[in-house]
Amino acid sequence: MIDDRNLGVTIRGMTMPNPVGVASGAFGYGEEYEALVDLDALGAIYTKAVTPESRPGNPAPRLADTPAGMLNSIGLANPGLDAFVADKLPFLRGRRCSVVVNVAGKTEDDYLRVVERLDEEAGVDGYEINVSCPNVAHGGLAFGTDPAQVERLTRRLADARSKAPGRPIIVKLSPNVTDIAEIAKAAEVGGADALSCVNTLVGMVIDVKARRTVLAMGTGGLSGSAIRPVGVACVYKVSRAVSVPVIGLGGIASADDALQYLLAGAVAVQVGTALFSRPEAPLEVLDGVRAFMEREGVARVEDIRKLLR
Amino acid sequence: MRRFDTIVTENRPVADGYRELRFAWPPDDGRRADDGRRADDGRNADDPAPGRFFTLRAGGRYDPALRRPFAFSDWRPSGGAGGGEAACVFQLRGRGTEHLAALRPGDRLDALGPLGRGFGKPPRGARPLLIAGGIGVGPMLYLAAALAADAAAGLCEAPILAVGARTAALVPVGLLPAGTAVCTDDGSAGFRGTVADWLASFDPGLPPAFYACGPAPMMAAVAAIATARRATYEAAVEQWMACGVGACAGCAVRLRSGDYAKACSDGPVLDGNKVDWEAMA
Repeated sequence: MIDDRNLGVTIRGMTMPNPVGVASGAFGYGEEYEALVDLDALGAIYTKAVTPESRPGNPAPRLADTPAGMLNSIGLANPGLDAFVADKLPFLRGRRCSVVVNVAGKTEDDYLRVVERLDEEAGVDGYEINVSCPNVAHGGLAFGTDPAQVERLTRRLADARSKAPGRPIIVKLSPNVTDIAEIAKAAEVGGADALSCVNTLVGMVIDVKARRTVLAMGTGGLSGSAIRPVGVACVYKVSRAVSVPVIGLGGIASADDALQYLLAGAVAVQVGTALFSRPEAPLEVLDGVRAFMEREGVARVEDIRKLLR
Repeated sequence: MRRFDTIVTENRPVADGYRELRFAWPPDDGRRADDGRRADDGRNADDPAPGRFFTLRAGGRYDPALRRPFAFSDWRPSGGAGGGEAACVFQLRGRGTEHLAALRPGDRLDALGPLGRGFGKPPRGARPLLIAGGIGVGPMLYLAAALAADAAAGLCEAPILAVGARTAALVPVGLLPAGTAVCTDDGSAGFRGTVADWLASFDPGLPPAFYACGPAPMMAAVAAIATARRATYEAAVEQWMACGVGACAGCAVRLRSGDYAKACSDGPVLDGNKVDWEAMA
């Protein structure tokens, strides 16, 4: 039997009880899914993005159905930093799973403001820095495609940690770049404790009959099984370019999907879009990863990558 | 709310391109009987009240990635503990509904619900006017039945249901209660014209309370009439959804205030006088 302690994954001062988390944007702030998922069985909850001010989000429609996936253009709709602290964080505080707050903003100062404010609050275990949202003009992707900006933003955030030095800075990377390894290295040089990859791919669906884009914003972020090979390839590349841990996501719905990421070099995974079809997907993934480790005699999650031939 | 695997009990055509799907709703095992939210009428939030909905997986496990949302068009409790038979009316629109159309009695079905906020009760002394356009007929059938039962018990005035469609073949005649006003654009059945045209000339005899579900232009027309008559307007909105539980904000519906409501958790029943119907068109 795999000892539950061996399923744990430590990044800086944060120890996730197991490697399977739920991805930002798909799981709200946890409370929404309480009736459907045993939150305490998860490795981590990556919250919906938090920005300094509330954001209403993009015009509707914001969703489109695609082959083995979906497009979204939510536009970082969120209640803002103060409302997050007052209304959402209390529910998350004291959970067995790690709570990683996804941070977004228009400017570097926005990101800094969110992290500095949350450093004062108990109940947050780490930060996932969203420099890769494809759905807002300034909300990340502008940062995430420029290595110099990624390095500078990461350094400012890493240096600002004084009140809660144990909380990792996890930089979430975009696949919408020419060379994701270059961005990954920039984040590492800036002081990132880990990288999560990948965010959604830019996509568009056109309604031929109506002769217009299905999404009001035109483009959106593609997620779901359709993007899994892209994500696995990115994790494979990034985990060989940096020495910090990599968290894999993109189209993970089953243990086999997660194991592809773990074999490619990830130390943990996130389940996102699959939640919409089967809320129990992350726990099924975890059961399967545990069974794989028992079968293969792997003691620790981070050793799974060593099995890749 | 629960996600559960169940069995289709009936699946039959009810109009051209429209089907009624019925399935068993198993009794709750009691572990998560109450998700903490309450339906408007104070019933347990796990009760399938009119206006509330469920989502169905319509295809493979993860393809399509999105479950399809459907309002309860009927609900017949049986056996206690929250069990019964649920129904929805759906229109064949794409690969998800094509998959559902192929289901036969006895086939397995993956359902999640009940979800969302349902219809409120009509104000005292008001005439409930239920306006359905196209596939919007689903939730109005269940509401009409529930309000008729309430009226029989002396709890409200008798409801009047009006159903609009382009042509007679698109009207699910067999599902409509006696006395339903049928409106067709081409005059092939009932009133010739839109259901909004019918409404504009209809005298309900009492102050009206509007309930509606249908295409945005119809919903906007009802809003104009409700505003002019200073009447309440409970509008069930339709929008693509991902999570169905208020987490993802994908099913946003724009309000006149400029804010967005989530169709799945703030709705699907919203104050129709506050929705920006032009933005929905």
